[in-house]
Amino acid sequence: MKLALLELRRRPWRFAPAVIALVLLTGLLLTLGGLLDGLYNGFTGALRAQPGALLTYASDANLSVVRSRIDAATIAQVERVPGVEQVGGLGTVLLGAEVPGQATEASVALFGYQRAPGGVPAPPEHAGQVYADTSLKAYGVKEGNTLLLGPQRYPVSVVGWVSDTDFLLQGGLWGTVETWREVLGSARPDQVLASGTFQVLTVSTTAGADPARVAAAIDAATGGKTQTVTRSFAVDSLPGITQQRSTFNAIIDTTFFVAALVVALFFVLLTIERVGIYAVFKAIGASSGQLFAQVVLQAVVIAVVSFMVGALLALAVGSLIPPQVPLQFSASRALQVAVGLVVMSTLGSAVSLRRVVRIDPATAIS
Amino acid sequence: MLLASREIRRAPVRFGLLAGAVGLLIFLVFFQQTLLSSLLNSFTGALQNQSGTVLVYSSEARNNLEASVLSPDIVDKVAAVPGVGQAGPLGAATMTVLAQGQQIDVAVIGAEPGKPGQPTQLISGRPATAPGEGVASSETKSFAIGDAVTTAAGGSPVTIVGLTAQSQFNVQPSLFVTFDTFTALRKAANPDATMVLPSAVAVIPAPGVSPKALADSIDAAVPQLAALTRSEAVAGAPGVSSTQGSFALLLTLAVVVVALVTGFFFLILTVQKTAALTLLRAVGAPASYLVRGLIQQVVLVLGVALLVAVGLLLTAAAAVNTGLPLTIDPRALVVSTVVVVVLSLLGVAFSVWRVLRIDPFQAVGRPGLGGIE
Repeated sequence: MKLALLELRRRPWRFAPAVIALVLLTGLLLTLGGLLDGLYNGFTGALRAQPGALLTYASDANLSVVRSRIDAATIAQVERVPGVEQVGGLGTVLLGAEVPGQATEASVALFGYQRAPGGVPAPPEHAGQVYADTSLKAYGVKEGNTLLLGPQRYPVSVVGWVSDTDFLLQGGLWGTVETWREVLGSARPDQVLASGTFQVLTVSTTAGADPARVAAAIDAATGGKTQTVTRSFAVDSLPGITQQRSTFNAIIDTTFFVAALVVALFFVLLTIERVGIYAVFKAIGASSGQLFAQVVLQAVVIAVVSFMVGALLALAVGSLIPPQVPLQFSASRALQVAVGLVVMSTLGSAVSLRRVVRIDPATAIS
Repeated sequence: MLLASREIRRAPVRFGLLAGAVGLLIFLVFFQQTLLSSLLNSFTGALQNQSGTVLVYSSEARNNLEASVLSPDIVDKVAAVPGVGQAGPLGAATMTVLAQGQQIDVAVIGAEPGKPGQPTQLISGRPATAPGEGVASSETKSFAIGDAVTTAAGGSPVTIVGLTAQSQFNVQPSLFVTFDTFTALRKAANPDATMVLPSAVAVIPAPGVSPKALADSIDAAVPQLAALTRSEAVAGAPGVSSTQGSFALLLTLAVVVVALVTGFFFLILTVQKTAALTLLRAVGAPASYLVRGLIQQVVLVLGVALLVAVGLLLTAAAAVNTGLPLTIDPRALVVSTVVVVVLSLLGVAFSVWRVLRIDPFQAVGRPGLGGIE
């Protein structure tokens, strides 16, 4: 064991090709993971933050928030369903926003809400006031700013900050229902909704009630006019979310596989070069297990060192990427990459096992 | 040379496995490339294959056709800009419709008959010229000529009178209708709608005026607008650049892996054969002869790998259901092939260096080769 570490210390350049490849792969893995997390959070924040276990959409909207319409009569029907504790209306409109002093418009999702989502205060006191998601700071938004929304440049003022409430990669703005209706009317006349009509309902169930049964009861009570789903189902039904996640995960898995391949090829090469010295070790009593353990130890050390340098590389890349790009580094993702890299490096180094076992001690004297 | 090809003949499994592995990796590159061009086509096919060569959006829409809303007088203002040949309103919105008994999301695109914004890739039937008629994209096979389509919320039906190719939008099937039909569908989907406004103005320049010059003139003449040439609108559409960026990363990774695998394999082979190569050098074989042999082996392996990759690609394109119409782009494949071959040759540069570094004198210094140390 000591010998393996000694070799790493005395001849670090020998391991440079594998370390360089793994550093690059670590940087790639962390950046990809950060992008996946950022995209997911930016797409789904507003829905994940909603109160209650269920979300009710119009059945002809295919679970699209912006295309859904639930009128006041239907809302009353939902409120009367046994197992329903609280119902709140929610509506959104996706717009461009002019930010004071900025040339680039910010992409925003203005929400009008009756029940406060997690992390969002109760609706502001006055129409025209909004809480802004902290992601909008990347567009130069500051507290106290007046943002001009949509083609009619409807003014709203930022009175506070909320976080992780973006929707479809547009910065979340949270205002009163009246503000939302006025902006909708001015910016999207073809999406206007009658008073009392909302796009989506957030539904809390009574203690002990089974959300799935309550959802079915709501849809039955409205005569099929609604489609009620759990919040997590609604999140996964957002356009592109599952495809995005599966594509990124496939890339990440492939990258881990490539890391194992690189380590495997590197240690096969190293083992071939060391056949003579391994034969000598075996001739003086070292077992195949001991020799193989050295190979594995070196692979693990290489993986750990590469991860540390790669993490710095990813942070450097992250600092160069414009703040509008949804890149979010997290400790859990870093841990996942570190563990994955060590496991794949160990597996990769295991490819050399057969060669180490096959070494004949007699070749030491031939 | 003879020695290099004979070695391959004597060890077909070893070289066959490498060619297979590299072939699989090159297939991965080719498949991703095909997926990329098909995906981009599904994102913006309807924009690319409509007749307006200049598209005018609201400046706050950030190049997003569906997010753009224009007041009706804008169409006349744009039409009055010198250099405009034809101009017409273009409406675009995603709607849930009932087609063949299924609820599906469709990008509905409305343009006035005879005005810019008509689909250009009609493969059967005829253009929609009257209210209640529609031309649907054929890729998803959700529509057939004669089908009646309504919004999921109800309203008057639209009869499909034609089918187009390469005309999807935002990875959804598209339905080209007249602007009046578009308005009717929007109102059917949302009876509370107070007004249905155009999303954009589709423009065809007058003869002798380039789309780029006309776009600049429109931007200068009418405030609060973003006039884009068709290719700019396609490149700037939401999702296009991020998709291109993600795939560029993937393709780079895959190509580097091909080069790494090829390089490492031939390096291992060279290290294993060092004794034999030293002997060959000692009996008079020039280093260039050995290097040529190595390169010949690399080229042969890559050649077989490319054949494997093309075979797999053709099979996958015919058999795999990705939910996208896959179209193979031969030009992109040629570029990928050149990059893979060049990088793989660079990957074996270290092996070449090791071959060149072989000292024939070592043949007499190595007991394993019959020398005396």
